[in-house]
Amino acid sequence: MSIVLRSVLIAITIIYILILIRSINKKNLQISFSVFWIISGIILIIALLIPNFVEWISHKLGFVAPSNMVFCLTIFIAFYLIFNMTIKLAQEHKKNVTLIQEVSMLKKRVENLEKKKKSK
Amino acid sequence: MKILLIIPAYNEEENILKVCKSIEEYDKNLDYIVINDGSKDKTLEILEENNIKHINLIHNLGIGGAVQTGYKYAYENDYDIAVQFDGDGQHEIKCVKDICNPIIENKANMCIGTRYLDKKTSEFQSTFMRRLGKNIISFIIKVCCHKKITDPTSGFRAADKNIIRIFAENYPTDYPEPESTVEVLKNKYQVVEVPVSMKERQGGKSSISVFKSVDYMIKVSLAIIIDSLR
Repeated sequence: MSIVLRSVLIAITIIYILILIRSINKKNLQISFSVFWIISGIILIIALLIPNFVEWISHKLGFVAPSNMVFCLTIFIAFYLIFNMTIKLAQEHKKNVTLIQEVSMLKKRVENLEKKKKSK
Repeated sequence: MKILLIIPAYNEEENILKVCKSIEEYDKNLDYIVINDGSKDKTLEILEENNIKHINLIHNLGIGGAVQTGYKYAYENDYDIAVQFDGDGQHEIKCVKDICNPIIENKANMCIGTRYLDKKTSEFQSTFMRRLGKNIISFIIKVCCHKKITDPTSGFRAADKNIIRIFAENYPTDYPEPESTVEVLKNKYQVVEVPVSMKERQGGKSSISVFKSVDYMIKVSLAIIIDSLR
């Protein structure tokens, strides 16, 4: 990796971490949801700062080219994340349905009680 | 025996009043509740003007979520039997008695009204494609649960207290009829079918369009197969 490419990548990663910290501070993102993204930022920085780090690991693991390992890893991680998100979404959906049902039924009961009170 | 009719209604301004009138003409003491599933037309206004007992869902949930609200209501108010009854006028009120009988006589926990058991009783048999789809779902249920259900997508069903409790807690939201039937069968409850007559839709649009039916078939088949693997 040339020194120019490396510094550009480091700069992008630093911007990424700054955006991350900013959104946590602005309360757009709770800490518990951001653990994965913080760790991924740190790993990226480490991998970029140590010379030949990625090349060394990919060689040890038997990849033909370092880029293969990077793409492979990212796709796996992306799959895992999307799957996780789908599960979370389904859970939230279920909670949402229950909420709507309960609120609607409560509303009905309150209206009935109010009517009874008026008629008295 | 306290019986409750659950009537899910989504954009049924043309039919809902007729349906409720027919219930009152049939039996004044029969309880019914309309679940207005966030209709965009005047369904809610009609319900309020005519003083029809109803629950108004604050968002559209789809047929499954609406029907489950009815089961929750039945569970909270301690009804013995809950009958699902369509708000579009397809189901005939005089069949409610037939559909409740097996449960009253303790022969079954759940009773499904079928339009295919006896060809004469029903003037409405639906199209070839729909029948094919029904046969496929029926076959999958037969393989998975060893029980023949001729009309698994029928929305005209009666449930006893046990089933009301199960449905109040957990009810599939997307394509509820076949999936919930499998759920009941898996819990080793008795399901029977009785022939009923159904009419053509009197107005409004069916909730299942032609383009969605392939999607429907795939999802229902998957749901049943995965359900039976538990």
